[in-house]
Amino acid sequence: MSLRGHLPFRLSVAAVALCLAAACGGASAASSQGSNGSTLTVLAAASLSRVFPGIGRLFARTHPGTAVRFSFGGTDLLTAQIEQGVQGDVFAGASTKYADRLLAERLVGRPRAFCTNRLVLVVPPSNPAGITSLRDLATKDARLVIGSATVPIGAYTRTVLGNLDAAFGSSYSAKVLSHVVSDELDVESVLTKVRTGEADAGFVYVTDAAAAGSAVRRIDLPDNAQAVANYQAAAIARSTHPSLAGAFVDFLRSPVPQQALRRAGFGPPAV
Amino acid sequence: MRRSDRLVPIGFGLAAALLVGFVLLPMAAVFVRVPLATLLSQLRSNAALGALGVSLRTTATSLAIILVLGTPAAYLLGTRSFRGAAALETVLEVPLVLPPAVAGIALLAAFGRFGLLGGTLRAAGIEVGLTPAAVVMALTFVAMPFYVRQAVGAFASVDRQVLAASRTLGAGDGETFLRVAVPLARKGLSAGAALAFARALGEFGATIMFAGNLQGRTQTLPLAIYGLYSADNLPGALALAALLVAVSVGLLVGVKVILRAGRTQGWEGWTASSRSTSGIV
Repeated sequence: MSLRGHLPFRLSVAAVALCLAAACGGASAASSQGSNGSTLTVLAAASLSRVFPGIGRLFARTHPGTAVRFSFGGTDLLTAQIEQGVQGDVFAGASTKYADRLLAERLVGRPRAFCTNRLVLVVPPSNPAGITSLRDLATKDARLVIGSATVPIGAYTRTVLGNLDAAFGSSYSAKVLSHVVSDELDVESVLTKVRTGEADAGFVYVTDAAAAGSAVRRIDLPDNAQAVANYQAAAIARSTHPSLAGAFVDFLRSPVPQQALRRAGFGPPAV
Repeated sequence: MRRSDRLVPIGFGLAAALLVGFVLLPMAAVFVRVPLATLLSQLRSNAALGALGVSLRTTATSLAIILVLGTPAAYLLGTRSFRGAAALETVLEVPLVLPPAVAGIALLAAFGRFGLLGGTLRAAGIEVGLTPAAVVMALTFVAMPFYVRQAVGAFASVDRQVLAASRTLGAGDGETFLRVAVPLARKGLSAGAALAFARALGEFGATIMFAGNLQGRTQTLPLAIYGLYSADNLPGALALAALLVAVSVGLLVGVKVILRAGRTQGWEGWTASSRSTSGIV
């Protein structure tokens, strides 16, 4: 039997060819949005996931032919991905620590502060553990969920608890941490576990609590215990659209995106 | 013989070589990316030891549950024909085709605090979400079908006349099951147990959604790998990955050896299940 006459074989060759074409086609389609074919990929902290898509659309409007897509995750995960060579154009993290590290490794350009955030304690509306104050976290048997020590929200949470030791006694933070039932890998997961009532309380950013609306009850922190999250953005060194990436970083500091950030509850950039 | 006829086998070989390379390269990379001494020292970190303890405890517990409940269930399905048997078997296979994230959210919807049974459980003083019990439930849910499928096949291939003879000789149903059927099906059952163990050991998605992530309590090996990688500790993540590669490959080879030794039972079940479960493990 000749190869030509062997229908199943020819079909499989055709199928493979189709798959390859589809794969290539898919890739080129993704990068050919707009007339000059630029898609900007922004790796951004999970806490920006509600406000950045709108800012991306604003950017695309002011830069015709550009599409912006996002990859949201824990800032530490995004940093690890950039270090492992993931494709991307802009990094926007919730802490200066990671931007500084990427800068030292020459993987990003100069980081620029574009907004700040603060923390708040949230409990489910039904408040199953009866948490009404920060002190309750140490005294009541509450199932607390916080960010892992390696993500910014987790680091800030530990800073806040340490700050509260001054007010509630030196064993306060240790007692509170003993009630932790899960170290979540990003702030969205903390919020979800509180919203769904699986956790009795959790520390999130004020912007997350604001977005959750009546799905959570807020317990504010005293100003002297706050940790200020300083968000920084930087162009990724390996970006295939370096000037566009730089333009996006600058754009974040311009008035209209700043208004959008402020509406979502973010504070002005740190100087 | 035409030239093209000789090319066909080369094509087959090439396809096979591509796939084998595609699987072997990442597994080898886990071991060579970081020096072996570093890998071994990373295994002694708190995160690694904590995750190892959690994984061993929860996987062993869930395997025990799977064996205790799955063996009689598989015996029923493998040796009796009754209305609805096929439907029952299909239900027990559903977790095979369910994405782990779906399993996680489904477990939450059923057993979480505000799930269907959440109120009932809470009234009984039981809260499972975000506890080691939740890890065990997640592992049991996703790994159970791997054992049950294999066990059904193993029991089905036990000669019915032997079972009938056992009853004729005065053994009750329970005795026939324990002293005749289980020993005869042991190879298929062991293979199924090994597969279920491997699947449970690797569970990630359902666990992180239903049980959370707390070192030494609910953080299993796969969760620790993700956590260490996120925290930019690549050597630590690779060390745990290398451990899981070694254990998983060991289990798979063990399954093959067990089944090859007893091709008459269970082998068909294994090939059938391996076909339908590819891509899930």
